[in-house]
Amino acid sequence: MSQPGAAQAVSAGLEAIAAEAVDRARRAGADQAEAVVQSSRSFSVEVNGGKIETLKQSTARGLGLRVIVGDAVGFVSSNDLSSERLEDLARRAVALARLSTPDPANGLPAAAEAGEADGADLALYDTAVLELSPEKKIEMAIELERVALAHDPRIRRTDGAHVSSGAGTTVLANSHGLSRTASGTSVSAYVLPLADDRDGKQQSGGYGLSKRWLAELPPMEAIASEAARRAVARIGARPVPTARVPVVMHPDVAESWISEMLDAFSGESVIKNSSWLTGKLGETIASPLVTLVDDGRLRAGVGSAPHDGEGVATRRNVLIERGRCALFLYDTYHARRAGTRSTGSAVRSYSSVPGIGYHNLALEPGSDSPEAILRRADRGFYMDDQGSFGFNSVTGDYSFQAQGFWIERGEKAFPVEGVTVASNSLDMLRNVVAVGNDLTWEGSVASPTLLIAEMTVSGGGG
Amino acid sequence: MSTASYLALPDLQAVLPRELAAELMEIARAKGAEFAEVYGEHSVHTSFSYEENRLKTSAYSVSQGVGVRAVIGDQTGYAYADGFSPADLREAARVAARIARGTSGNGKLQAFRVVEAPWPFRLERPAPLALDESGKITLVERANQAARGHDPRIHEVSVTLADSSKSFLVANSDGLWAVDRQFLTRLTVSALALQGDERQEGYSTGGGSVEADYFERERPPEEIASEAAATAVTLLGAREPEAGAYPVVVSPGWGGVMVHECFGHSMEGDTIRKQTSIRARQMGQTVASKGVTIVDSGVVPHSRGSFRVDDEGTPAQRTVLVDDGVLTGYLWDLLNARLTGNRPTGNGRRSSYRDVPICRMTNTYIEAGPHPPADLIADVKRGLYCKSLGGGSVNPADGNFSFQVTEAYRIVDGKLAEPVRNATLTGNGNDAMLKIDAVANDLEIDGSTGSCGKDGQWKPVGVGQPTVRFREITVGGTST
Repeated sequence: MSQPGAAQAVSAGLEAIAAEAVDRARRAGADQAEAVVQSSRSFSVEVNGGKIETLKQSTARGLGLRVIVGDAVGFVSSNDLSSERLEDLARRAVALARLSTPDPANGLPAAAEAGEADGADLALYDTAVLELSPEKKIEMAIELERVALAHDPRIRRTDGAHVSSGAGTTVLANSHGLSRTASGTSVSAYVLPLADDRDGKQQSGGYGLSKRWLAELPPMEAIASEAARRAVARIGARPVPTARVPVVMHPDVAESWISEMLDAFSGESVIKNSSWLTGKLGETIASPLVTLVDDGRLRAGVGSAPHDGEGVATRRNVLIERGRCALFLYDTYHARRAGTRSTGSAVRSYSSVPGIGYHNLALEPGSDSPEAILRRADRGFYMDDQGSFGFNSVTGDYSFQAQGFWIERGEKAFPVEGVTVASNSLDMLRNVVAVGNDLTWEGSVASPTLLIAEMTVSGGGG
Repeated sequence: MSTASYLALPDLQAVLPRELAAELMEIARAKGAEFAEVYGEHSVHTSFSYEENRLKTSAYSVSQGVGVRAVIGDQTGYAYADGFSPADLREAARVAARIARGTSGNGKLQAFRVVEAPWPFRLERPAPLALDESGKITLVERANQAARGHDPRIHEVSVTLADSSKSFLVANSDGLWAVDRQFLTRLTVSALALQGDERQEGYSTGGGSVEADYFERERPPEEIASEAAATAVTLLGAREPEAGAYPVVVSPGWGGVMVHECFGHSMEGDTIRKQTSIRARQMGQTVASKGVTIVDSGVVPHSRGSFRVDDEGTPAQRTVLVDDGVLTGYLWDLLNARLTGNRPTGNGRRSSYRDVPICRMTNTYIEAGPHPPADLIADVKRGLYCKSLGGGSVNPADGNFSFQVTEAYRIVDGKLAEPVRNATLTGNGNDAMLKIDAVANDLEIDGSTGSCGKDGQWKPVGVGQPTVRFREITVGGTST
């Protein structure tokens, strides 16, 4: 892929290390070997009370070495990349593989299987991100906080305004001759305003996003205003009685749901029979309004990459096509187990073995405006925030602490907290009765507003 | 401790000698920072994962490097370097120094004094070093067999033994010099049960900062495996919880994750200093029911959350947060203690040399009360008994919390009834501890399971409690 000069210089050094690691592993007795070397630079600033609270800057690199000896796998990683360490790592990897159980499905992708992994059209690298000075990033964070505080007198403090940026290069080489290099940048901004509520209580309204390109990041003023608007809107939130009602999912909540569901589409879960979608390939599992796509080649996508964690070319994978369960995701090992081909879905860092994951996951937009969806719900719950735990990946059961608004006569009536929202993912997928036209990418998962015909909202006095 | 068992870890004082540490701190203070700190670390992780009756992966990783921190007022500059190359470390120190904008240094460093702190417990033969690979693999195989043998409905079992050995050194411009070693082992079993179209999963763990013979003498892999398998089988056919607000009894041990999330986070010194926690103005006030005493202690024997000195070199201690319902103390790291005029409590922790130390809990628990645990259930007409909880979280700003309940039972007329699955407990941390209406006498501290995430950093923690009853908690579910 095409790369700016600075990244090219870095990657040449990394390629030499990867090649040396593969070579040493082969000589230490590995039948197959794969090295992944990553190098990254990152900067982050947190502002609180109008001045810098923490400023952090770093460069990091590391190597992961996976070997196969007699069909068994060993894995080592290190951030010490000296030649002596590489020799020690290669020997250890081979010794560890000899402890593992042989499995003929273990194997690294050859160049032909891995496909063409051109990254030139992906637009993952923005030199403007690298050129953004620390002073400018500090100014951006200060402005984020200042605008949030100025939005409303009830916002008297924030839990921090953050701006961060990074650039990284990943090199992969394996003993079948596969050699890959990819570089990317990222920049993100985030602020968490706190609004005074009754009895010393406060409400928070965090908002922020990540982009590959500096020019795609909205003005700090827009991010801060949105965050402040969210915090103030929560003031006076209260529980509602337990009821089964239509639930409108804000894009943030819908995004969280689709990323939780991804595990059910993993070929590994399906093979182990631990997925609630086992046996449902080709069947209708969702409303015809639902199309779920994982696209590793989204232009300038935060999760985009020319190749996956094993060097296999990424692609656009349609998981649910107008309601039909269309595809499960595979890395090389699980594809061989299932008698199919890798979908380019191996994800990893240098310090971990590949696992199955997503690149850019999206529920495709429909035609309804969010306002029209609220009117359609008429009376129910608009869920715009949630707790962190509440999804069962084996059953698809969904039960989350939730915040949002009560909907009366198709409009937001008052803010709600202290409730949970529950159902099962299969029921929810079938009950998607409206899909919004408001899809935007703020990270590597995106969804428009959704309307689920019925879920259980539990609150006090039920 | 036997010296032989430590041969596997390098002597950090050889790669980061006092002269170099002092030089780095002088560079870090060259622009006027008041405080500087150097933290060096070498850690080794190994793991063995068993899936589908195979030892799928055997893994080993090494991570090492040095982080340099410079502080002026309440502002922190931080940078790190992988490895110990003096040139890289000097560059990291120069980057950290830029938090201050002055042109001159900040006086002489204090002479180093080695921190002397007692060991909270002895480790003669730490499991990560004293067990060899085949010993570790045997534990994993035993757990796999036991889980599969527990019930014919167990279809799939995953077992992972993961351990770490960490050696670290911390020095600061106040003259602190501390070195320590920490060892952690965790055996995790998850079991999948199938019956017809239904599938359920159970999960259990064992370990901590334990001796090599822990899995023989205290917690055999078969016991951990049976717990995971039993949960999975119990959940087959379990009913959905009744949605609503009603009495909830939470089991001892890991149930303490509730006090960690609902209360402990709001007592961390950063949120107290910045007044973002509702607890900041509640010293001396009643914040929990009478009879509730809450402690954070870094010296619980063999727990994941324990240590001799924290990641800033402060000795671990026991801090009483709430005494009989009244707020008595907060948790402090060095920075927040200094800015507020408090003494550090040994709660400055970091994930690795790549991270700034922040204020964190260690082992947080509710002390034992007077009641036999059975009494807490016998008094409830209609409620929920939570035998095992999954993950939990709190939004520290607004106090909203939630917990996933992995295994629960209905309480009907003072007795345990059918198993319940997929329940979620939710509420607000501001008043959760005031809703406790009974504390039993069966305190257990779970030092094997917990990892806590804050500001993107994960840290091992212990949690604990006796059986505790909440007058009323909102339970999420689909049945109304």
